[in-house]
Amino acid sequence: MNLSFLPADMNWTCQPCGEKLQPGMVELEYMGNVFRVELPVCPKCSAVLISEDLAVGRMLEVEQLLEDK
Amino acid sequence: MEQKELRAWEALCIQEEPPACRAGCPLNVDARSFAAAMAKGEWSSARAILEKSMPIGGIVARICEAPCEQYCIRKDLGGAIALSALERVCVVNAPSRRKVFRLPPRPKRVVALGGGLSSLTVAFDLAKKGYPVTVYFGGERPGGSLNYFPEETLPQAVVKDELNHLEKLSVAFKPIENFTPDCIASADSIYVGQDDILPETLTVPIQHPDSATFALAEPGWFTGGMHGKEHRYRFITNISEGRQAAISIDRYLQQASLTSGRAALRNGKAKLYTRTDHIAAVPRKKPAAPAGYTLEEAIEEAARCINCQCLECVNHCKYLENFGAFPRVYARQIYNNSAIVKGTHMANTLINSCSLCRQCEELCPNDFSMADLCLEARQTMVREQRMPSSAHWFALEEMHSARTEGSLVRHAPGAETSDTLFYPGCQLGGIRPQQTLRLYERLLELQPLTGIWLDCCGAPAHWAGRKEAFTEIVQQVEKVWQEMGSPRVVTACSTCLKMFRDHLPAVPVESVWRVLAEQAAVDGDPLHVMAISDPCTARDDGDTRAAVRTLLKGLGRVDAPLPMSGKLTECCGFGGLMDCANPAQARQVAEARVAQTDAEIITYCAMCRDQLARTGKPVSHILDLLFSDLAHPAEEKPQSISARRIHRRRLKSALLNRYPAEQQEEKAAWEDVELIIPETVAMMMEERRILEDDIRKVLHKGANGGQHFVHDQSGLAIASAVLGAVTFWVEYTVEKDQYRLERCWSHRMVMRREKA
Repeated sequence: MNLSFLPADMNWTCQPCGEKLQPGMVELEYMGNVFRVELPVCPKCSAVLISEDLAVGRMLEVEQLLEDK
Repeated sequence: MEQKELRAWEALCIQEEPPACRAGCPLNVDARSFAAAMAKGEWSSARAILEKSMPIGGIVARICEAPCEQYCIRKDLGGAIALSALERVCVVNAPSRRKVFRLPPRPKRVVALGGGLSSLTVAFDLAKKGYPVTVYFGGERPGGSLNYFPEETLPQAVVKDELNHLEKLSVAFKPIENFTPDCIASADSIYVGQDDILPETLTVPIQHPDSATFALAEPGWFTGGMHGKEHRYRFITNISEGRQAAISIDRYLQQASLTSGRAALRNGKAKLYTRTDHIAAVPRKKPAAPAGYTLEEAIEEAARCINCQCLECVNHCKYLENFGAFPRVYARQIYNNSAIVKGTHMANTLINSCSLCRQCEELCPNDFSMADLCLEARQTMVREQRMPSSAHWFALEEMHSARTEGSLVRHAPGAETSDTLFYPGCQLGGIRPQQTLRLYERLLELQPLTGIWLDCCGAPAHWAGRKEAFTEIVQQVEKVWQEMGSPRVVTACSTCLKMFRDHLPAVPVESVWRVLAEQAAVDGDPLHVMAISDPCTARDDGDTRAAVRTLLKGLGRVDAPLPMSGKLTECCGFGGLMDCANPAQARQVAEARVAQTDAEIITYCAMCRDQLARTGKPVSHILDLLFSDLAHPAEEKPQSISARRIHRRRLKSALLNRYPAEQQEEKAAWEDVELIIPETVAMMMEERRILEDDIRKVLHKGANGGQHFVHDQSGLAIASAVLGAVTFWVEYTVEKDQYRLERCWSHRMVMRREKA
């Protein structure tokens, strides 16, 4: 799985770094399964933004799918 | 679960057992489905149902004496369904659509002596299996007694048509005069059908056959069709004997045992239980014309069929109804679920959605327990590390909080021992903290040596199938009780009471309602009619249920009828952690519960009160009546998950204030984070199980050196923190020193920035 979940609005700045978030590759792990996805990331501190849409949408679906495996 | 255990579970649920009519049909005709098709006017389908089990259906359906009618459950409710007449009207009006279907030919040859109904049945059943059958008939034509029916009952054209069908199945018809000893030599098995006129040389030597297999002493010889005019059901019985003989002949020719694994005729003995007390008597429809029913009359008569089902449990349980089947099927699904190594565990939700309320045990004629089935499955899932971690997460977090930051045990202020410990239960403390304090004061008036014990009994761990964790909690609870001098425990929670009784038998435990009922006022003037909703954990506690009624009577309340109460009471949607694993279903369960009465509902379980009140129906807790100055309006919304958590801490704090020498526990720094929570966000938090505590922790961390994101134009900010197994996110703006919440969400996936 190699997917991009960049929100339409990328105008977020990381504080206190002061850096604008950039697309970056992130590993998401759940129950031993790892997915590489593209998400907004702070280029300085590597903090990742997970949007509400992603968390309650696709992410929840995958979590439930893995829990029932 | 082992396969043997599955079989035992399956055997308990009788929903798939044949109804009385089918059990009473020697041909195993599915009369219930037949009547259903007839009631819908689906004549061809109805005929197909008959012909699925009947040989030579065009004939049999016209002359069937319907022994099933004597077993019909409708019998005492207006008269048995007139199945005989319905069969007739069906085949008269619906032409047969059956096809000539024969298995590949087999080398073994069968001879039937006699051309009566039983021989035709043998020929029909064996020819379909591929055996070549030769029928030697007496008289001028095959059919025996069939040739003597009045034309209006059994037209000769129908007989001819059925005989033609048999010929297409490779049945040969020859006059009995053609039968010679050589025919015996060339046959592999011989059936003597006594329901035809045969030469005495053939019939006299025939002895009585075995009553189950219809085998004669001579190997390969069988007989049947032994009933004459004296028998009330002679046609159908002769046909049945032919069928049983055909089964034996097939087994004999395949060199199999004639008896092993053979299903015996049920003779009307049905295991299917059907409740009839709610069914009104409707008299049997009489045909206007002597010839029989018109199609309209037939529909009316068939519609009287009760459609016998058990479904006692399913009809009263939203959970059992929602999964679309009945316990026998569920047992199989749960068994399969644990057998899967790879693939999706489809039954996880089924297993985790049961309230474990045990109403099904009360309703089932065989005490089938979905609770035991599901609880055991949950324990297995936990043991095998297959339990979805999110299924019971919130309830277990709640339990942990109640057992740590919310827990407290003390003797009464100034006392060094306790005669009694008041154990309100964590939900009462969370939902009604002020009333909990007042209740404690009332108990102190009755017994000054009453200590206080705030804790959770561990029910969530038990319900979640976490056996080890639950055992540990039980041991801890017992230890605390011993350290407090092993006093009597008085609880306001039916679940705690049940947990103590079931798992800590050494602890003398009592319901607070019983203690209060002993002091109850004389009966007040009846003021108000209320329906008492017993919590499901009080199902087996008649004393507490009676005490509550005594208390309410003393308060002038009249008990309004609620169909499912007392022993039959049902869950509010919280039990068994249903609300956690399947919140949508928990709402349905509560809706179904409140729909059972128009009266205002009163209960004595804090969680039942809030779950039922979520429907919008006015629901009171008994403490609202006992302490009217602290009463909450019956229309009040349920307490939020956040409020319950905060209330527990405040209750503990209020109690600790009574011990001046003791130091209060220090407030955590995050507790001072001030929030502005719009109603929409409050609803979002409730639905997503996000607590104010969680949000405060996230924001406190963000404000104290933690990172957060700020939107370049709108000024909105987003902060997040990993708390336990969950990552929480909050979107907010800052107003002076307060945080105005905009959105919040969470996930369980763990994120890791890839190393460059």
